Amino acid sequence: MTNDNVETLEFDELPPLSLYIHIPWCIRKCPYCDFNSHAIDDPLPEDEYVNALMKDLSKDLHWVQDRDVCSIFFGGGTPSLFSPSTIHRILTGVGELLGVAKTVEITMEVNPGTVDRARLAGFRDAGVNRLSLGVQSFDDEKLAGLGRIHNGREAKRAIEASRDAGFTNFNLDLIHGLPGQTIEQALTDLRTAISFSPSHISWYQLTIEANTEFYSNPPQLPDEDLLWDISRCGRSLLLQQYDHYEVSAFCRPGSTALHNLNYWQFGDYLGIGAGAHGKITLLDQQSILRSWKTRLPLHYINADKSAGVRVLDAGDVPLEFMMNALRLSDGVTTRLYCQRTGLPPESIATFLRRARSRKLLRKGSRIQATQRGLRYLNNLLELV
Amino acid sequence: MSELAYIRNFSIIAHIDHGKSTLADRFIQLCGGLTDREMEDQVLDSMDLERERGITIKAQSVALNFDSNDGHRYQLNLIDTPGHVDFSYEVSRSMAACEGALLVVDAVQGVEAQSVANCYTAIEQGLDVLPVLNKLDLPEADPDRVCTEIEEIIGLDASHAVLVSAKTGDGTRDLMEELIRFFPAPEGNRSGDLQALIIDSWFDSYLGVVSLVRVMHGRIKVKDRILIKATGRIHQVDAVGFFTPHREETVSLQAGEVGFVVAGIKDVKGAPVGDTITLASTPDVSSLPGFERVRPQVFAGMFTVKSQDFENFRDALAKLTLNDASLQYEPETSVALGFGFRCGFLGMLHMEIVQERIEREYNLDIITSAPTVIYEVVTKNGEVSQVDNPAQLPDPAVIMEMREPIVQANILVPQDYVGNILALCVERRGVQKDMQFVGKQVSITYELPMSEVVLDFFDRLKSVSKGYASLDYYFVRFSKADLVRLDVLINGDRIDALSLIVHRDNARHKGFALTKKMKELIPRQLFDVVLQAAIGSQIIASQKVKALRKNVTAKCYGGDITRKKKLLEKQKAGKKRMKQLGSVEIPQDAFLAVLKVDR
Repeated sequence: MTNDNVETLEFDELPPLSLYIHIPWCIRKCPYCDFNSHAIDDPLPEDEYVNALMKDLSKDLHWVQDRDVCSIFFGGGTPSLFSPSTIHRILTGVGELLGVAKTVEITMEVNPGTVDRARLAGFRDAGVNRLSLGVQSFDDEKLAGLGRIHNGREAKRAIEASRDAGFTNFNLDLIHGLPGQTIEQALTDLRTAISFSPSHISWYQLTIEANTEFYSNPPQLPDEDLLWDISRCGRSLLLQQYDHYEVSAFCRPGSTALHNLNYWQFGDYLGIGAGAHGKITLLDQQSILRSWKTRLPLHYINADKSAGVRVLDAGDVPLEFMMNALRLSDGVTTRLYCQRTGLPPESIATFLRRARSRKLLRKGSRIQATQRGLRYLNNLLELV
Repeated sequence: MSELAYIRNFSIIAHIDHGKSTLADRFIQLCGGLTDREMEDQVLDSMDLERERGITIKAQSVALNFDSNDGHRYQLNLIDTPGHVDFSYEVSRSMAACEGALLVVDAVQGVEAQSVANCYTAIEQGLDVLPVLNKLDLPEADPDRVCTEIEEIIGLDASHAVLVSAKTGDGTRDLMEELIRFFPAPEGNRSGDLQALIIDSWFDSYLGVVSLVRVMHGRIKVKDRILIKATGRIHQVDAVGFFTPHREETVSLQAGEVGFVVAGIKDVKGAPVGDTITLASTPDVSSLPGFERVRPQVFAGMFTVKSQDFENFRDALAKLTLNDASLQYEPETSVALGFGFRCGFLGMLHMEIVQERIEREYNLDIITSAPTVIYEVVTKNGEVSQVDNPAQLPDPAVIMEMREPIVQANILVPQDYVGNILALCVERRGVQKDMQFVGKQVSITYELPMSEVVLDFFDRLKSVSKGYASLDYYFVRFSKADLVRLDVLINGDRIDALSLIVHRDNARHKGFALTKKMKELIPRQLFDVVLQAAIGSQIIASQKVKALRKNVTAKCYGGDITRKKKLLEKQKAGKKRMKQLGSVEIPQDAFLAVLKVDR
């Protein structure tokens, strides 16, 4: 740690606030997924879950009095398994408990295998104004390998249905570096995605996470050289029409994901729903809290919602900030660092000096990784 | 206090795994030295490391009270001896305190070279040796064959050998009765002037220096003012007593007894092993012969990963030598690794143990440079010097001749593995001196370069003989050899701590194998790392650790970043244990890659 002398945080203003709502069910669990998701067997307890969410939110309210949310995100799991009327009830309930900014961005994750035009229109009527479609690939064989419930044709239909339902602001999630994938296959997925003119593309390299089926039973992934070629070629293709603004996020100019951007800029967020995490700055206590909720859906519904709350150690704050902020191609200003961490610039002086001398951070007043720093971000973060 | 006639001082000679510690535990149990609950396995091996590795490093003693069938109570002092080839010098120390030694031989495996060497040491010191065949509980036990081996290989009468199973306890009581009959009682004049031999001294953080002594004449008691002959210093005795194995204080130790003395000595050098203690009032009492000073055989530089740890490292070494007089060290400066110490060790095991103790007990990360033996260099102006550090080798232009140390190695091995052993010795540039078939075993004598023996020969010997071969060796002479210095370059910079002195015929292969092994040990970095082996300016091998393509986490959202943070912190902690050479990060074990090279 470079911030040995720092003991307390001092905040004089609060960052933007977001709300994350977790819907923990899927039709089936994908072998690469390490999120808190559970395959459904019975009809979904939608009503009970809505009630639980509202209770959960009410208990968190004292942390965010008089603050408006600037974004809401339904993540999962598969939020699109919930009916439009349930989503409507959730958003109405949220509106009764919390202030919501006029310009609020409300995103919902959608599994292409679970929706049609009417359902999507229903979500739109409920208030959702941005979709994130978990396409992952348009290649049937690759989709089957990922354990997805949809095929390429259904993915395209879901995108068209989204547009038909009136969504202009939508993200397509794509995964590359899939088992057996060639450069051409990866680029074909990208070209197909771009042909639908989404406002946003999240293009991730497949990562084998602990506690997944792929971890215990690893597939044969492309070698490192091929992965590198895929990521370089894919990036230049995307750059023709999209800004590369975060490690894996590309957008049409002006269409960043506000909700995710708030994470990366170390903003605040409430997290409600089974296994959801939150991060809140408290002015009266001059501290940052992290909260997490009960993971198992039935426990969450029937018993305690909160599973824990922890005050961040001042010593951990710089690393947590950098883990997020340095992912952004444009980085952040030193002022934003001070505002969001409650720490003085000196707390990262050593880090900045060392990282700059290694050409991992740019010189100048911004805190911004070089191309090399973005490529070796984990090595850069070691220096914090 | 026991009368001389009812004291027996003895040690146990045994090869590792032949059951010495188990037998010692049985003795302790039979004499009620510990309750069953206290009876942890292998009580005598008291250092954690000893217990973990199942070996004995330091000499220890235990005093037992044994009620014999003859109606008398005997004081039996058992002085433990180390069983690993690296620590053979400690054996003669233990024996100087004894009148007898039990030669414990595994009734399945038979006689091993280390036991033979220790047995001769015992006989040379005038001890009576009683053979004991252990592991009689095993169905493969073959006492007749093993008795033949004892008689033919060692030349010891095995007709009165005692058969036991230390594991089940069978025969141990009979063994104790037999050793009382077989070993002589100590001699000594209890009313004479005090003369006591220091068998071992160690530093205890509560008591200061504790010395294990054998009282030859007279007696030593609390409040006595004693004179340490070698230092000429006078100290007052604070406590004396026995280990049972608990430390139990008594009023005095008398001639014939073995026990401890604490006399407010702050530094182990104040009570040197092998020295003689007498009373301040009788300074003219003669010194006992003492022990030959042990010479380290393996030398290596030791450096801290973080340069700011140097002072702590110096303190750690100083403290370590309080309990390990065989460890030698002097300051060394490496261009690559900075300030450190050149250390002399008894062997590789000793080196490993020292490094482990420093890291564990003092919480320091240590880099050990490639170990070497001492070489003799004759320069053109006729000067002969000894070199224990390849980096200090004079310019080849002024060297007239280089000489390497040669050892005589005695190996005992079952006949089935003779072929493997001979092949190994030939590969190590050995010259056969003798070979004899005895029972099922073969006794093989070779002269080998010490450098080929000290590093990994023992391990290789074990692996090519399924663990059955045993080894004993000793230095015989320096002998002229065609030696060169093999350098290692990392991204073009010569790393002095990685240089080796090798035989010219092996240099090319060694350079290739070493760089290849290092390539496996050095993690990929943000740039290519080129590893080269060179003799002088000639590059003889080259390997490249290719740069990482990228190192970035694909997904990171608010959510739970704890796990990602832990991964980063783990990566960071790993780096902290690496040495930064220029911009290249080298893990500790890469400096010892030479030990991991497959031949």
